[in-house]
Amino acid sequence: VGKKVQAIYLWWHKPVIDRELLQSLPNLKVIANSGVGMDHLDLRLIASSGVKMANAPHAVSSATADAGMALLLASARRLVEVHHIAISPSMEYCEADILGVRVAGATLGIIGMGSIGYKIALRAKAFEMNILYHNRTRRKVQEEQVVGATYCKKIDSLLQQADFVMLVVSLTPQTHNLIGKRELELMKPTATLINISRGAVVDQEALVAALQTGVIRAAALDVTSPEPLPRLDHPLLKLKNVIITPHLGIKTDKACYMITKEAVENILAALSGLPLPNEVLPS
Amino acid sequence: MWYHKPAINEELLQSLPNLKVVASSGVGIDHLDVKLLSSYGVKVANTPFVVSTDTADMGMALLLASSRRIVEGHQMAVSPDAEYFPADWLGVEVSGATLGIVGMGTIGYKVAERAKAFEMKILYHNRSQRKKEEENAVGAVYCKKIDDLLQQSDFVLLAVNLTPQTHKLIGKRELELMKPTATLINISRGLVVDQDALVEALQNKVIKAAALDVTYPEPLPRDHPLLKLKNVIITPHIGSATTKTRWVMMEEMAESIEAGLAGLPVPREVL
Repeated sequence: VGKKVQAIYLWWHKPVIDRELLQSLPNLKVIANSGVGMDHLDLRLIASSGVKMANAPHAVSSATADAGMALLLASARRLVEVHHIAISPSMEYCEADILGVRVAGATLGIIGMGSIGYKIALRAKAFEMNILYHNRTRRKVQEEQVVGATYCKKIDSLLQQADFVMLVVSLTPQTHNLIGKRELELMKPTATLINISRGAVVDQEALVAALQTGVIRAAALDVTSPEPLPRLDHPLLKLKNVIITPHLGIKTDKACYMITKEAVENILAALSGLPLPNEVLPS
Repeated sequence: MWYHKPAINEELLQSLPNLKVVASSGVGIDHLDVKLLSSYGVKVANTPFVVSTDTADMGMALLLASSRRIVEGHQMAVSPDAEYFPADWLGVEVSGATLGIVGMGTIGYKVAERAKAFEMKILYHNRSQRKKEEENAVGAVYCKKIDDLLQQSDFVLLAVNLTPQTHKLIGKRELELMKPTATLINISRGLVVDQDALVEALQNKVIKAAALDVTYPEPLPRDHPLLKLKNVIITPHIGSATTKTRWVMMEEMAESIEAGLAGLPVPREVL
């Protein structure tokens, strides 16, 4: 059976692509990933086996940007908390428990201004937010002007000024634990951290401590380390000022359809010996 | 006056012969009999514009939370039983979907401005059509008949004020005109919707979901079916509930009261 397999469409990191699997599939030509993140794949190993790789960068950007904004608004307006108040058996609540943070006029710091980060900036501008961004490279001036974004060459500058910090980087050795104790302490005590990138971009233990002691106000996380978090008393599951969602960034009917479409295009191209539309090479 | 208390009726007005001004929090005045108050020589003021942005934000927050199943998702992510997240658990895409705004006043227009950034197609229904430049700025298309809006929208957002004309504006007929994949978002007043018809529509999948910042009454009795439906998000009328906005509302109300007591023109007077 192994000899017949020419393509793998990878959904949610399964199957695990290791040396053993690659050796058992001698005719494998291409692995198409469902999504844009490739941190779960050993790109060099796969390339050295003569297998091409592709991701689905265009299908995911709008849905993920929408999810980032959904989490920002849900956290600012305490949506999960107040929904539970609204449906709870007791009708008593304290006014202070339902007041949220105004989004209009607040400052959003976007860390990682790729396709997804830029779509977030477009949306945040409509909410009358001030936008700062930190990126490996600066965007073109016209692109900055469209969204009114100011470049922060140093991440510290962004962290110190932002009311909302949104992580939209890909996971690489450079972004691993990008946000740790030092970065959290640079943030305002009234600030919110939103993570739609990868759990490992944040030093999770440092985050728990920061949330417990009021170093930052709140967090909204679509991604954690691991996913799901271990059930046995993980502190993140209990904190009132945390919203956690089950990695739903791309999980819409339309995005899943488009991801599959992109994957199929890449697979067909590879099997025909044509250039792949979205080939990913080891860096 | 916060949250419609105390109830202003003849009895109360007669017991307060020196009452000069009632300052009401927020923009809605459906809970006040302005004619009655006027006949007692009492001036009425509200806080109309400061609430607009936060309320529009709330409308978008509810739209996004409902479409992406944020409340359900959080429950799944923190539940003691979660071992893995099901692969076929999906939400609805907002980008490129059609939003129908019923009531295109200040708040409705701010919702349109936000929705445009999500590449949503915007339809609107209003007592009167907005100026061309205003429509073009947000790419909004006027629907003279509400039916046209209801039939085409993936999301229907209510941003009207409560008047005798908008009372039960959305009833069984209107819900049945909506797509079965559509979501109703209400940031106006509970009474704009026929609530019993809404419950039935949600239970029978006539529409997909609802997200309500307002109900009738507020709060709902604890055994109300709306509190139990999985496809409903309810928030406790927090459209304007941010610290900054509440602060400004207080200042505006105090200002109106001071002017009323000094016999000066009352800022934000409701006539």
